[in-house]
Amino acid sequence: MNTYIKLYLLLVRTSIRSRMQYRFNFAFGTILAAFIQLSEFLMIAIVLAKFGAVRGWSVHEVGYLFAVMTLSKMLYRTFADEVHHLERYLVEGELDQLLTKPLPVLLSLMPRGFRLMPGELLQGGGILAWALGAMLAGGQVTWWAVPQTLFAVLTGAVVLFAIGLATATCGFWTTRISMLQNMTEDAAQTAARYPLTLYPGWMSGLLLTALPVGLVNYVPALYILRGELGAWVFPLLAAAACLAVLLALRFWKFGISKYQSTGS
Amino acid sequence: MTDSAAGQASHESSRRTETAIEAVALCKSFKTPVAAKGRFSGIRSMFSREYTVKEAVTDIGFTVEKGDFVGYIGPNGAGKSTTIKMLTGILHPSSGSVKLAGIDPHRDRTKCASKLGVVFGQRSQLWWDLPVKDSYDILAHMYGVEEKDKLRRLPQFDELLALGEFWDTPVRKLSLGQRMRADIAAAMLHDPDLLFLDEPTIGLDVNAKRNIRGFLKILNEEFGKTILLTTHDMDDIEQLCRRVMVIGGGQLTYDGTIEGPRREIGLPTEIKITYQGRYELPDEWNAEDAAQGPADLFVRVDEAGPAGAAGGEPPTLSSASGVIGRAELPRMRIVSRGERTLTVEVNRQEVRTMDALRELGRWGEIDDVEMREPDFEEIIRRVYG
Repeated sequence: MNTYIKLYLLLVRTSIRSRMQYRFNFAFGTILAAFIQLSEFLMIAIVLAKFGAVRGWSVHEVGYLFAVMTLSKMLYRTFADEVHHLERYLVEGELDQLLTKPLPVLLSLMPRGFRLMPGELLQGGGILAWALGAMLAGGQVTWWAVPQTLFAVLTGAVVLFAIGLATATCGFWTTRISMLQNMTEDAAQTAARYPLTLYPGWMSGLLLTALPVGLVNYVPALYILRGELGAWVFPLLAAAACLAVLLALRFWKFGISKYQSTGS
Repeated sequence: MTDSAAGQASHESSRRTETAIEAVALCKSFKTPVAAKGRFSGIRSMFSREYTVKEAVTDIGFTVEKGDFVGYIGPNGAGKSTTIKMLTGILHPSSGSVKLAGIDPHRDRTKCASKLGVVFGQRSQLWWDLPVKDSYDILAHMYGVEEKDKLRRLPQFDELLALGEFWDTPVRKLSLGQRMRADIAAAMLHDPDLLFLDEPTIGLDVNAKRNIRGFLKILNEEFGKTILLTTHDMDDIEQLCRRVMVIGGGQLTYDGTIEGPRREIGLPTEIKITYQGRYELPDEWNAEDAAQGPADLFVRVDEAGPAGAAGGEPPTLSSASGVIGRAELPRMRIVSRGERTLTVEVNRQEVRTMDALRELGRWGEIDDVEMREPDFEEIIRRVYG
């Protein structure tokens, strides 16, 4: 395990060093990503300012949902961006090389896409500070909300990773996965930026079970912000995240045995 | 551990080391979803249950002993790469099994991978944007190679493959020949006993090919490495391999020595005669059968069983070919006729060259003789192509 961690760090350093070969592209890409994120923030700010409360959720609570989702997604994509881009490896047969290495495929795959996402961090952190700050001032939450929220961000990242991994695994059968990702990742994550009470029952049920993006921000918010449910929410989140990632990993292992590679 | 258990274990391990590769009844079929047409075709084909199934490899089985140097050849699309990918644990066979030095590369992929070297001629395992030497550092960590072993092996590789000239160059700036040398060294850094190479000489110039062949020869002969390579370059096969396996249409059509097909099939030597003037073709040679295709002369090996192993007579010149003439005449076959030139084929297993020339000399005054030996590629092309 220890050697795996060392190896992971080495591969991350290597990946960053590779990309630093193209310094301009690296810097420009990072800045651009931050700008895109900023424009997205303006969008959400307009929505919040215009509509404010949604179905009994205050503007700060909706901001909180948005921020937690952004931060969880940032963590997931910082470490596992390459899982999201597995299609490239499947279409071009690049997975061959990784399969000849004496490491778990994910360990050689994930460091390749490691990237810092300062735009997302600033935006997510900023909105979270604004939302929590207002609610602290209003006495709605205590300082306990801060560690609890960080915990939710972590388990949320694991859940998003599990969903992303399971989706990517479908590519071993279909090769192309971007369509599926649009639904299970992008659309689902966007939907969960708003309180799930907004949606019909079947849909919020779906977003809490089969595609559990609701576990990332909605369920923790129910307890942390509104005192609903109970403190058992945290062990539940941890257990659900573990279960999701274990299932996804099993599916992934099965998927690898169906890898078809490409002609050469 | 009891004594007998220890004895058994050591016996096991000594038995294991003898067989490097064991492939049993390997099959691989690829399923490709049938693309749906019309509305929402993208989504529909994603969930479609319709497939076209392509059998890439059917029932391939062989064993390779430790220290062997095996060439694996066949036309494009015959299943060479698919086999190699199954052997190295990249693809899971649809049925059948593989053991590399006793380990199943699919069940114990990571354990097996640390004992293998794999080179794909078309792909690099080096880090594209970093200097060559960095790749070796990373690979050494990946495979758990001790620093002192790395520092001992790299100068050896440098001496044989001349890596020093591009040591600090980013991989993306290497020439193809340099990159291939660097890649082969990378595959050997953890000192595996078994090396798979998929078209290691593809697209290389003569010097680079010679360099790489020399290195592989040393690995095999001096260090006892077991090597299996695929190639389209018959010089690779003739200069390196003791054994050759031919795959065609997903099946092994030949497995044996290089000399085997040459001997058993007896491919003809071509003799081109230029006469000083016009020549007379005796009546008994003046048959129309000369138009027959040369392939008709030979019994296909797969009909007689691979390498004649299926019993029956070894393939020889078919007695059915009418041109061969009477007993006292050498068995020859006229391939083409010009005004002053004549090309014939003789099977040198059966006819001595002098006999053939003597007969040809009776037909006119010989000015010049050119002889062309059958090369291995031609044997393969004619018999398996």
